[in-house]
Amino acid sequence: MTAERLFDLKSISKSFSKGKESIAIFEGLNMVIDKGDFVAIMGPSGSGKTTLLNMLGGVDKPTKGEILYAGKGIEKYSEGQLANWRAAHIGFIFQFYNLMPMLTAAKNVELPLLLKKMSSSQRKKSVAAALELVGLADRAKHKPDELSGGQQQRVAIARAIVSDPDLLLCDEPTGDLDRATATEILETLQLLNKDFGKTIVMVTHDPAAAKYAKRCVHLDKGEFVEKELVA
Amino acid sequence: MGSLMAQIVAVVAMNIRSLPQRIWMSIATLVAVGIVVAVLLAFLALSNGFEKTLNTSGSDKIAVMLRAGSQGEMSSVLLRDQLNIMELAPGISRDANGPVVSAELYVIVDGTKRSTNTPVNLPLRGLELSGVELRENFSIVEGRMFEPGRNELVVGEAVQTEFSGFELNKKVRLGQSEWTVVGVFSAGGSVFGSELWGDLKTVQSQFNRGSSAQLLRAKLATPGDVSEIQAYIENEPQLNLDVKTEVAYYAEQSKGITNVIFYLGWPLAIAMALGALAGALNTMYNSVAQRSMEIATLRAIGFSGVSAFIGTLVESLALAAIGGVLGSLAAYLFFDGLTTSTLSGNFTQVVFDFKLSADSFISGLKLALIVGFIGGFFPALRAARLPVVIAFKNAT
Amino acid sequence: MSDFYLIRKNLTRNKLRLSLNSFAIFIAFLLFGVLASLQAAFDAGVELSSEQRMIVTNKINFTQPMPLAYVNKVRAVEGVASVTHANWFGAYYQDPQKPLVGFAVDAESYLEVYEEFVLAPEQREAWFNNRIGIVVGDQMARTLGWKVGDRLPVSSSIFTQKDGSSVWEMEVMGIFTGNDEQFDTNYFLLHYKYFIETQSFGGDWIGWITIKTTDPALNDEVSKTIDAQFANSPAETKTTSEKQFSKAFVEQFGNIGLMITSIVGAAFFTILFIVGNSMALSVRERTNEIAVLKTIGFQAPRIFKMVLSESILLALLGGCLGLFVANVLVNGAAQAPQLRSMLPNLVLTDMVAFKALGLMLVLGLVTGILPAWRAMKLNTIDALNRR
Repeated sequence: MTAERLFDLKSISKSFSKGKESIAIFEGLNMVIDKGDFVAIMGPSGSGKTTLLNMLGGVDKPTKGEILYAGKGIEKYSEGQLANWRAAHIGFIFQFYNLMPMLTAAKNVELPLLLKKMSSSQRKKSVAAALELVGLADRAKHKPDELSGGQQQRVAIARAIVSDPDLLLCDEPTGDLDRATATEILETLQLLNKDFGKTIVMVTHDPAAAKYAKRCVHLDKGEFVEKELVA
Repeated sequence: MGSLMAQIVAVVAMNIRSLPQRIWMSIATLVAVGIVVAVLLAFLALSNGFEKTLNTSGSDKIAVMLRAGSQGEMSSVLLRDQLNIMELAPGISRDANGPVVSAELYVIVDGTKRSTNTPVNLPLRGLELSGVELRENFSIVEGRMFEPGRNELVVGEAVQTEFSGFELNKKVRLGQSEWTVVGVFSAGGSVFGSELWGDLKTVQSQFNRGSSAQLLRAKLATPGDVSEIQAYIENEPQLNLDVKTEVAYYAEQSKGITNVIFYLGWPLAIAMALGALAGALNTMYNSVAQRSMEIATLRAIGFSGVSAFIGTLVESLALAAIGGVLGSLAAYLFFDGLTTSTLSGNFTQVVFDFKLSADSFISGLKLALIVGFIGGFFPALRAARLPVVIAFKNAT
Repeated sequence: MSDFYLIRKNLTRNKLRLSLNSFAIFIAFLLFGVLASLQAAFDAGVELSSEQRMIVTNKINFTQPMPLAYVNKVRAVEGVASVTHANWFGAYYQDPQKPLVGFAVDAESYLEVYEEFVLAPEQREAWFNNRIGIVVGDQMARTLGWKVGDRLPVSSSIFTQKDGSSVWEMEVMGIFTGNDEQFDTNYFLLHYKYFIETQSFGGDWIGWITIKTTDPALNDEVSKTIDAQFANSPAETKTTSEKQFSKAFVEQFGNIGLMITSIVGAAFFTILFIVGNSMALSVRERTNEIAVLKTIGFQAPRIFKMVLSESILLALLGGCLGLFVANVLVNGAAQAPQLRSMLPNLVLTDMVAFKALGLMLVLGLVTGILPAWRAMKLNTIDALNRR
């Protein structure tokens, strides 16, 4: 079975200018991600994990090189085009959940649907399904501060998948959670990958978390080191 | 106690050091308080100046007689025979020439306000030279006094500065004949400074008033005592007059306008102060929120809640006080001594100066400090009660 | 859920800040509503004056009398359509401290010149036919409790009857209103004949003449012709348009407009500062959330609109409340007898309300534009990596 190619990163360079100096994070980086993949990106702090993730999500742009998404170079997109592209294809999951504190869980999940042309009953259905999937149907009316960290992250996952994107980008999704809760979250991500065919890219520095991925890449000094996963 | 003092000093110093972080919000409070104080002071200066002008106008050595029921000189009429009877009244001071009285006629003529170039009502008073002596502060500062029987006018200093059309040596046509402005007089800041004066008989004839007057002024034998005159009027069936001291008369005349200024000024200042209070509360709550980490840290190492409370309160009071001082300064620079005029109870212009008194400044500063105190009190309570743990959490 | 829901939730998330800000705005618009109404009441005479009407007064001052014979001379001037005249009566009823506005007029010609006058035809007839009859403005009648058919002793603080009494017997024959809500109905009219024949001051003089020209374009010429006609006579005249006349009178109180504008301006400036800073602060606190919205795929202009709508909503919330209370206050104040005699047309007009709405939008825009711009330009990466 030949997998469909989702991302093709071609000799990506990224540098920041700090004062007069220009600091290169990576140079000439290449990477492919296939549809249905679950990639864990590991590496020490400052290795550019999050920057890479941001570039995949069209939030950041490379200094040089191409990022092909389904054959199209997204680095050339305008801000507005990128926003639309993200709305259509990407779901984000953050370390600190980043939920809107004044909205209930259900409303938080509904947020991305504001970007789609959907009737409110359709939206309600999607929200209910997403919350059901993360096991929080009974917490729909609760506000973030009435939920535990794990529950908040589940709401965040529901928000990421509610508009049915192809790709989930997770930045240290378990970084703020205890082991047991982290396991639950990772299992949910695995389920989304296996049963729902979501492509997942996850940045983590927790080797235990990386084990849930299909493959793991190490980013170090701007270079990839593919590592075998021990199941 | 010493240690609490040290704590408070430390907290206040910290608050001040962190001020630049919320500089705009702090300036907003400062400006708000400043504007409130400035507006209040402007109104106080206005009513103060107006009152002062009318107060200087009235002497308790002088009695004023008008036809009963009339609102002021404008609507009063006194016929010659009434005047003659009136002059015989006991209680009126007498000298070698007989009773010291002045029958006066009051007519309104048009002038032009310099600042707006619009027509205004100016009072033309017809009086005899003896009447001039009833005004203690009167003196000719330019030109000379009018001569009885001639079409001559002397005008108040305020008329010169505020209105045009009555410059020295200018000929003015009033009715059938021309009048010449022959002198300028000072009336010690009283309402008379806003008047034009001419000879009684000439004004009577030019304005077809026969021998009638509108008001009788008399020097009292006993200052402040009009009871004898009052009793005399009551016993004379031909006299239908009101008598009061000059002080009382002008106090009555000014009541309407001082009321308007007062009842408009204070509510306005209070409403604006409430708005500024909302701003101060907002600023101080933000200040506490921003410093919650610091406050909690200090509490954690053993600082008392009182020091957090006072630190916040002092910040608020300081902002309000600075605002109050700036507002007072602005009011002083812009309004103090400013001359303006308005329509008085007699349908004519009264010229007066804005005058800021020490009392006004104190009122302004009080208002500022009240805003500062309330604006700081509730946020300070919050600061004092901030739970140490939650403050740490909030800051993450 | 919609964008509006999000905006509303954002606005109400910090209840304390919301109430403080809306209170500050509330105060600003309360002041605006009350002060602008006061000013409008002062200016109403100017606003409502007719282009076609002119006032002829004695040149010395409008309080100086003129001979009655002038009326016919003025009527003969070309361009004059109709002429009427009036005398100030200086009235009060029972209490000399509460003066009333009353004019002695020539009834038929007065109603001809003042077309905005609304009076039932039968009351009009009844008034014309009763020498001691008066018609009373609706507002004055309500304040004093006067009704058609009442016979009243009305006093003058200026004039006396030939028998020495200053009380005139009058009978209310009609109650008039105007065709505009600001039309002053706080006065009464009595017959000139009744007044002039009974008062002791001497006969056949009038206070002022009001004329209606055939065409406002002729006003200047008519005024010149009239004034030239009486030049060098014992009573020279000054003819001005009704508008100029009212304006000059209002301006005698001092520059009320400037005073009101500066107070409202100061209040607005303060509120602008407070609310603007508060908005900026609350958007800064929300940096992270805005970054998330953008990451999810919300377009920058949409976020701009949301923040701006929030500040406009805030301005409308506090502003409408302030305007409402201002309306209540103005209506209440208009009932106070002291104010009623001075400012008979005190009412919060539609014009003031519209201006207030406009100002609310401006306030919302000005306070929201910078935070909205910042939110729109927010760099997602920096914002998200801040933690």
